[in-house]
Amino acid sequence: MPEAMGYVIVGAVLFALGLIGFLSRRNLIVIFLSTEIMFQGIVLNSVAFGRYHHQLEGQAFALFLIVIAAIEAGLALGLVMLLFRRKDTLDADAWSLMRG
Amino acid sequence: MSTDTLRLCSLIILLAPLAGAIFIGALGPVLRGRAHWPAISGVGAALAAAIYVLVQMVQAPQGSSTISIPVYDWISDGTGLSFNVEFLMDPLTAVMLVIVTGISLLVVIYSRDYMRDHGHPERGYERFFAFLSLFVFAMCALVLCGNFLLLYFGWEAVGLCSYLLIGFYYGKPAAAAAAKKAFLVNRVGDFGFGLGILLIYLSFQTLDYKSVFALVDQGLLASGDPIPHALMTTIALLLLCGACGKSAQLPLHVWLPDAMEGPSPVSALIHAATMVTAGVYMIARCGAIFTASETAMSIVAVVGAATALFAATIALVQTDMKRILAYSTISQLGYMFLALGVYAADSAVFHLFTHAFFKALLFLGAGSVMHAMGGVIDIRHFSGLRRTLPWTYVTFLIGSLALSGFPMFSGFFSKDEIIHHALSGHPVLGGMALLTALLTAFYTFRMVFLAFHGSPRLPEGIHPHESGSWMLAPLCVLSIGALAAGFVGVQATGRTFHQFLSPVFTKTFAAAHSAEVSTHTSLWSEYGLMIFSGGMSITAIIAAYVVYVRQPWIPGLIKASMTNVYRLLWGKYHVDELYDLSIVQPARNTGRVCVGIDDYFVDGLIWVITAIPRGIAYVLRIIQSGLLQGYALSMAAGVVVLLLLAL
Repeated sequence: MPEAMGYVIVGAVLFALGLIGFLSRRNLIVIFLSTEIMFQGIVLNSVAFGRYHHQLEGQAFALFLIVIAAIEAGLALGLVMLLFRRKDTLDADAWSLMRG
Repeated sequence: MSTDTLRLCSLIILLAPLAGAIFIGALGPVLRGRAHWPAISGVGAALAAAIYVLVQMVQAPQGSSTISIPVYDWISDGTGLSFNVEFLMDPLTAVMLVIVTGISLLVVIYSRDYMRDHGHPERGYERFFAFLSLFVFAMCALVLCGNFLLLYFGWEAVGLCSYLLIGFYYGKPAAAAAAKKAFLVNRVGDFGFGLGILLIYLSFQTLDYKSVFALVDQGLLASGDPIPHALMTTIALLLLCGACGKSAQLPLHVWLPDAMEGPSPVSALIHAATMVTAGVYMIARCGAIFTASETAMSIVAVVGAATALFAATIALVQTDMKRILAYSTISQLGYMFLALGVYAADSAVFHLFTHAFFKALLFLGAGSVMHAMGGVIDIRHFSGLRRTLPWTYVTFLIGSLALSGFPMFSGFFSKDEIIHHALSGHPVLGGMALLTALLTAFYTFRMVFLAFHGSPRLPEGIHPHESGSWMLAPLCVLSIGALAAGFVGVQATGRTFHQFLSPVFTKTFAAAHSAEVSTHTSLWSEYGLMIFSGGMSITAIIAAYVVYVRQPWIPGLIKASMTNVYRLLWGKYHVDELYDLSIVQPARNTGRVCVGIDDYFVDGLIWVITAIPRGIAYVLRIIQSGLLQGYALSMAAGVVVLLLLAL
């Protein structure tokens, strides 16, 4: 078993957990947290592959990803806030304007 | 008189009323009850300038009396096509300008009191004066213009103002319908008029009066070929079509009686003294074109004589004072057309001049009666008003005498001249004109006797009062005009009016006329005819007196014995019904059919065509749940599928 296999498996598990949470939960904030978990799975992958190939790019890239995730978190929370103010609920099903 | 001074005067005449209109329009809510001041000052300035021009023109040597005044290049495409804003000043223009601005000023002054009580609640007072000023601008543009394009502009602009003012009481269905009718009937005439102008442009490659008339004089097209006779006749008849619409001649006369729904000052100014004479002015102006075709001239004469007689007979039985006057106006305009048709353009303009005074006077007098009677104008509902409305009575009487052609009143001289020319040109038409003169005197005094004589009788609950001085002053000024205006054109004063106008018509009407007259021996000496027609008018007045004052049972007897004739006249020869049946109803039915086709066939076809995408969409819409996680699920499923495929 290659030495990075454990990290990749943990990353995949994190991604899968996030995906399941994203698809099954109704609370907008929880949905948002799930996307963050998926994100961390990918960051872990990136670090793992960087180490596997003995290169620093993977870890450097991870630092950038963390910064971007922080910015995106601020943006997304702002959006959730606005949506909450509109309908006084965090239920994702309350928003279905695109229904055909 | 230098061109610069003339240009300045023309611009004042044109722009002062326009400025007044814009001023009132912009500041209406501030002005409110003072809205008449800008109108009076604008029109007054125009009148002053017009009088100055006229005086200068009278003093000028004969040769230089036609002056073009270029103002600016209007349209130019660089390849030679260009239309300028250009004025043409000659004695005819000067006389018309003084008539238009003079009568306008009197009417505006009169309206100051009249519109107080008859104004429309919704900013009616300001609106009225704004429209009236705008009309004066449009009419002056029509008179001043130096080419056919500007003429068309003025022509349409006065039509617009007429529409706006007929429909002034737009809340009243009859007024709204009358405005629409006037506009549509005029459209018929203007369509021909527009075609005539296009044909002029096609033939002569220019719309400038001077160039067109010069080419017609030489008998050459722009290409240098001689003008075919049929072309000249066609152009003249198309222009006549426009004149018939604007001047309410047969068969387009139907709009004018209905136009009386507008306020009385409007009837006096637009529908008696100025706008309706635009057709006469236009034919006189385009004399070169009309005299080039004898056929067209004969048609003008026939239309005029027929209209004169036709309208006079209708006026015999009408009971609405303003409608009687409207038919009388149509009839008098018919006289002017007849005069034009027998090459006596100066007599036509002379009659236009005197008619403007006495007809405006009569309409304003009728307005004064209406004012006192609380809006009632039907002569069956009141009588014996001469005691309660003495000033109105006297001025109205003067106007009526002038209209009847009573000796020494203005209408007598001008009408007599036309009859004289008509008799020596076309004896049959002259006979019709004589008969019309007899009827005119009769119906005019029928109206006077029914309204002002007899026992005092008033509509219920009306306490009549004589109008104020703002209304009486214009009446008095116009009475002086109705009394004296004729003397500028009689032999005793050397026919000043005709002498003054003669340079305009030397090359056109006069030249053709002298050729015409030399072949006829004049059977009627002018003085003999004067005595005859004067006696006829007096006889008719006496007859009206006997029938309507002394023996008031006679009209009923005549009515009973000639029911069919009476019904025909009362129904105005059923022309309206005929048009309704032959044009309005078919047009309306065609409209309904078109609406039906649109609603059922076209819309149905579109429904069928759109059914296909609509059906597809109906199935596909199920996919669109609108839910965030639904889309996310399909995305995840898609990724899984792609991964499976890749593996």
